[in-house]
Amino acid sequence: MSAYMGKLLYIDLTSGKSKEISPSPALVKNFIGGKGFGAKILYDLLPAGTDPLSPQNLLMFMPGPLTGTLAPAMRGCVVTKSPLTGTFADSYFGGHFAQEIRYCGYDGLIINGAAKQPSYIVIDDGKVEVRPAGSTWGLDTFSTVEALRREMGDDSVKIACIGPAGEKLVSFALINCEYNRHAGRAGTGAVMGSKNLKALVLRGMKTVKPADPRKFISAVDRAYQELAEEETIAGFTTDGTPASIDFANDEQLLPTLNYSNGTFEGAAGLNAVAQRRELWFRNTACAGCPIACGKVGKISRGRHRGLISDVVEYETAAMMGSNLGLSDIREVAYLVKKCDALGLDGMSAGGVAGFAIEAFENGLINAEDTGGLNLKFGDAASVDYLLEAIALRRGIGDLLARGVKKAAADLGGKAADFAVHIKGLESPAWGPRSVPGMGLALATADRGGCHQRAFPILYECGGEWNGEAVDRLGLKGKGEIVTYLQNYLAALDTFVKCDFATYGISKETYCSMLEAALGETWNVEKLLLLGERVWNQIRLFNLREGFTRADDTLPKRFTEEPLPEGPYGGAKITAVDLDQLLDDYYRERGWDSEGRPSEEKLKELALANMPVLVQKP
Amino acid sequence: MLYIRGEFDLCTGCGACMLVCANRAAGGYNPRAARLKVLSKNENLVNRPVLCTQCENPFCLNACPFEAISRNPETGVVLVDKDTCTGCGICVEACPDRMIRIGPDKKADKCDMCSGDPLCVKYCVPRALQLVEKKGAVIK
Repeated sequence: MSAYMGKLLYIDLTSGKSKEISPSPALVKNFIGGKGFGAKILYDLLPAGTDPLSPQNLLMFMPGPLTGTLAPAMRGCVVTKSPLTGTFADSYFGGHFAQEIRYCGYDGLIINGAAKQPSYIVIDDGKVEVRPAGSTWGLDTFSTVEALRREMGDDSVKIACIGPAGEKLVSFALINCEYNRHAGRAGTGAVMGSKNLKALVLRGMKTVKPADPRKFISAVDRAYQELAEEETIAGFTTDGTPASIDFANDEQLLPTLNYSNGTFEGAAGLNAVAQRRELWFRNTACAGCPIACGKVGKISRGRHRGLISDVVEYETAAMMGSNLGLSDIREVAYLVKKCDALGLDGMSAGGVAGFAIEAFENGLINAEDTGGLNLKFGDAASVDYLLEAIALRRGIGDLLARGVKKAAADLGGKAADFAVHIKGLESPAWGPRSVPGMGLALATADRGGCHQRAFPILYECGGEWNGEAVDRLGLKGKGEIVTYLQNYLAALDTFVKCDFATYGISKETYCSMLEAALGETWNVEKLLLLGERVWNQIRLFNLREGFTRADDTLPKRFTEEPLPEGPYGGAKITAVDLDQLLDDYYRERGWDSEGRPSEEKLKELALANMPVLVQKP
Repeated sequence: MLYIRGEFDLCTGCGACMLVCANRAAGGYNPRAARLKVLSKNENLVNRPVLCTQCENPFCLNACPFEAISRNPETGVVLVDKDTCTGCGICVEACPDRMIRIGPDKKADKCDMCSGDPLCVKYCVPRALQLVEKKGAVIK
């Protein structure tokens, strides 16, 4: 007995048939679950060069072996090839959906093909059905959840769905996992829309059983204890992620007016204090999470009075707030909720809106493209207009729906100079000009501009590495930090951790929980090797898709335009700096100067001559 | 006499209570196998824990045709005698909150307060579940 359910469910939407697959022992041993399963299965099953929006692309929902147990703060991920970047993409979601996959008896769902008509999938305790989406097609995500619950006659079913943006194949459409929980990044919702798949509805009765139940409880108890004792975790419980608004603003990392600055005079309007005053009633948590970084409430005054809002978490508060010059949290909460309802990734949407407004200022977009509206920073109406135009692909929204990279290429002129993305993924809310390690992390993240694969900022802003103070602006040693963090976090993403819990739960305790759940020996060394294997497996995928060193880069705004003011005024990561960072990082990784893993490295990771482990059934 | 009280304003909806309960009741993790539930409403603005309150006048006990349900006079906990229970399910229909159900053993199954030290309370970090005295001082 172990915490695995022992089955993957493969659904072919073209035929409407599904089949159970037993994951091979080699898949389980080498890749564990979550990101690891996704990485290997995508590599094995997806032919190089597949159009991400074609029926041949795979859409996978991957929990991990700890998901659905008492292990605190475990989640799931969607894995696919991204329509935004063309790279491997994994997008993580909280809530309760990933747990329900396991209660349905599966360690993962693999969806292939495309339905002939808009459809949704019901998995009801082992019974799999593809049903016509009927009148839910076209509904926003909130109404979709409501309609499907009604149809099932049960409010306790767990639902993942897309909104109008996913149906219309917006490149940064998300998958909503009830309510303010999403597989948000890299356009997973567009892939779902391209499959004519409106939703998945799950209800499962199976239980998850750790190999050693007693040992498991004692490991979980230790994790609870560590979370209770850690100050950073207490911060998440009290203030959620918006506490980072103040930190980022103080450290000049806060994206402001399409990243033209790192501080925002209206930051105090977006932070935890403002959100508590205007929005919050109480804490809310994902399944099995004692941290509860969510803060749900209702706007009680002004034009959005009555609007229920979850916490406007840091990324969206910054991308839809400071990045667009908006400082009234009620307006930002309204816009973020609009993204959720339409099914747009609020982070990319903030990046795209900032890009569009700057393009307007530069005359590349004009009032004829916007139905007469003058796009301005600091103007919620401009953003409101853009979100709807993008989700419904009206007017200029049709072009912007492809993301800043492609929109900039179409607009031409200077547009590429202020298109802030990496590999096509709009950059997250951490301007890296004064933190080159973070710049390297963004340049080398597997899915493009992502801050979650490694977050060296914590070490660069006053932290230590191996007992020594880290030189914030320095380049030396940053490759080692980024490599280590990427490996460690990739390992935890196989079973599938929440980022925030990692601030409390120790490496050893993660190992103990895994040991007791799986009935095998785990230690930190084995964990790091697993992470490195997964990271390299994904690198092989991206290389096969044609990505090279030239794609491990940063936008011009970070390499050529320095921070304009403040203590870090003048800071940027020049092309020369970036080259040095990459050389150091590739060396650290055992990759050649083009970023290709060496044969020795692949052997060390058991990836050289690794056979295909999952066949199309 | 004690019972477990659930507060909607404190409950985060994490469901740790249901996981530990399910593990004890069914030998594995799944909130649907727990002896309590949390109802989420209004986009999770409200999470309402629903628990057996060990009623003073238990409908389940009243409805049982076999006298398989009794109330411990000392602790006040309403318990099912598994040997006497036939699994007929009449008690399940009697409870308005469905806090008694037919368990994996095909017998009536309900919260037994973990013999006085409820796991759900122990794992409730936000303290939304509390073990309280049934009869406080009556004001009016």
